[in-house]
Amino acid sequence: MTVGIQYRDLISYLRTLESAVLNQLYKHPATCLAIFRRLPPLARQYVIRLLHIRQAVPQAVINSWYDPEAARDHTSSEDALLSLRLWHETTLPGGLPGWQLNPTFQEMLRQALAGGGDPWIVYGELDKDKHGRDTKFLDQYAQERWDCVLHYMVGSEVNSESGISQDAVRILLHSGLMKKEDDSPNSKNLITMEGFQFLLMDTEDQVWYFILQYLSTVETRGVSLVDCLQFIFQLSFLTLGKDYSIKGVSENLLVFLQHLREFGLVYQRKRKSGRFYPTRLAIGLASGLKELQATKDEQGYIIVETNYRVYAYTDSPLQVALLSLFCELLYRFPNLLVAVLTRESVRQALKGGITSNQITHFLKSRSHRVVLEREEGIIPMTVTDQLRLWELERDRFKFGESVLYSQFQTTGDFEMLRNYARDIGVLKYENPQKRFLVVSKSGDAEVRQFWKRHKKDYD
Amino acid sequence: MGSQIQPEEEDEVSELLAVVLDTSFNSALIKEKNVGQLLDAVVIFSNAHLMNSSKNTLAVVACHPHTAKMIYPVKKDSIQNIRPPDAQMEILAHATQVIRDGIKEVVTSWQGVYSIEPLLTGGMALALCYIAKRMANTVGKLNGRILVLSSSGESAHQYLNFMNVFFAAQRKAIVVDSCVIQNDCGLLQQGADITGGNYLKAPSIAGLLEYLLWVFLPPKSLRAKLVLPKPDVVDYRTACFCHRNLIEVGYVCSVCLSIFCQFAPICSTCQTHFKFIGFKQSMVKKKEQKSLQAPLL
Repeated sequence: MTVGIQYRDLISYLRTLESAVLNQLYKHPATCLAIFRRLPPLARQYVIRLLHIRQAVPQAVINSWYDPEAARDHTSSEDALLSLRLWHETTLPGGLPGWQLNPTFQEMLRQALAGGGDPWIVYGELDKDKHGRDTKFLDQYAQERWDCVLHYMVGSEVNSESGISQDAVRILLHSGLMKKEDDSPNSKNLITMEGFQFLLMDTEDQVWYFILQYLSTVETRGVSLVDCLQFIFQLSFLTLGKDYSIKGVSENLLVFLQHLREFGLVYQRKRKSGRFYPTRLAIGLASGLKELQATKDEQGYIIVETNYRVYAYTDSPLQVALLSLFCELLYRFPNLLVAVLTRESVRQALKGGITSNQITHFLKSRSHRVVLEREEGIIPMTVTDQLRLWELERDRFKFGESVLYSQFQTTGDFEMLRNYARDIGVLKYENPQKRFLVVSKSGDAEVRQFWKRHKKDYD
Repeated sequence: MGSQIQPEEEDEVSELLAVVLDTSFNSALIKEKNVGQLLDAVVIFSNAHLMNSSKNTLAVVACHPHTAKMIYPVKKDSIQNIRPPDAQMEILAHATQVIRDGIKEVVTSWQGVYSIEPLLTGGMALALCYIAKRMANTVGKLNGRILVLSSSGESAHQYLNFMNVFFAAQRKAIVVDSCVIQNDCGLLQQGADITGGNYLKAPSIAGLLEYLLWVFLPPKSLRAKLVLPKPDVVDYRTACFCHRNLIEVGYVCSVCLSIFCQFAPICSTCQTHFKFIGFKQSMVKKKEQKSLQAPLL
């Protein structure tokens, strides 16, 4: 699907960076750790075994480590290590080809594992915080802050103190999640179709996407991308519910920290308090911990019935707006919303680039606890199937480049060329009455050549 | 999306590794002052396991002649109080600190001699219980495995306990790996064979970490893809119930299946009397050959 937002995970994002930037990134243990954890298991094993060897190792030796049946895993591991520049090919003194780990990466990962080197900037000594915060508070805080951004996007009324800053708005506009209504300076910001898709994603995916968008604008503020990334990676290896010092953090990064604070990735009681607490949003960012959310006792509220009715026990304007993306709203009560999935409402959503998978995932991940244990599945099979069918019916056409041959002089010419095209399997369509045929683009050259040769013979 | 670097599904399972460390080191190790090196290797190995994935968890049990004690994780040392002095990852710095303190505490609390067997089975049982508890409290799948690190050789006195631990582990699909240093231990080898684990004898301390990272770090799913040392012929000798000697051929009580290295007219376990028509030399010989002298397993 061409419409819709491109979601990239950590590794694919890093692959887009230039090698100079990558090498800069590897100068911090946190980055190396984050990348190490995202490698395939076999690649991780290779790195661990090579970690304490400070010279190139013959490729033949590494080839003897894996089972011949796992050759595919080996190749993909090799590629992963190579594409992230974690190791490179060298020639050993004897002329044998060898692999050598990226020395910076190796040293930093070794430090992260066994110690040594300079402490991370947030490890500064702190006296006990008399306003210590517990995990529950931090979770609630992070959720509130993040919901604020989402509320702003759907344009639900928010009170002045929980509004979001100009910077955040700029990122939303920059990323195409929202757009200006018109060109006048006071125009309202409206959510785009991409924005709605964004809303349907899981929280941690949303945060990662948002941060990526933020990072792409970061250079224009005069903050180095590498510093920001390193800081984010450090955050993701910290402990929830513990306070950290900002003593050694540079001016630029402090600005960055304030932004993170605004989105709920870190908590600070006061701007000048000298300490901060990372929240689940920050810790889940790069550590690859997907089920962070699962531990939270977030209440599901949606029940889907076999008659396509959707009951949502919610009063949040955000949730209502999300449901109205693909449901037709029927009734609204103080704490309950009744909606129905119709062909029109779903098609409307599909046209906007939302996929049926996204819809089912949304409904599933927010379903009420009474349906979680239902035997026939959280969402009735009829509904999921119908959603899929509604999606497929938009895909009836398949577009492919082709070439039209027409205006044949005689039926003989036509039939000869048609037979040839059919024999080599490139004929797409023929109409003997009007004497034209359609050949796929790939077969065009061959058919044309055949025609020319035939013409020559004929002439 | 769809990049081939995405971790595979099987990797998503959390791994709980319980290291059962025998802290009553054999005399050769102490003489050569290699104990520090051994402990370093254990700590780095444990850290490597924690580093491998954010879902991996660790437990360390120290076994001494007088006690088997869980030294990591412990409640009293909170990660809140750790501020790593160098570039080590926080959780690893914490683990290192706690494990070192724990070993020190266990070792210094023992004043006796070191020739007594350590409570290896006690430690393994502790580790098993911990894993079982964690499995029960975890939503989703949790793979548990145990690594026993011992340098004290055979401990036939705890034969029955060993077997109980191994079969319990087998039932729970918990892999019991064993790495022995310098001295072979047939019982641990049997345990590895029963539970599908690896058994390795590290000839020296110098290469211990290398062995640990190579053979024992990869989880079960990854081991199938690696070339690992082939197991030797498993020593399936059992310990007799009377003298705790390891024997290949012995006497088995026909009622309770207890094993003895010498013939006894009354079974010491179930008090069965073996009745004979007199004690003629020829009779005893015949009896031995026919029913009592049965090869084991």
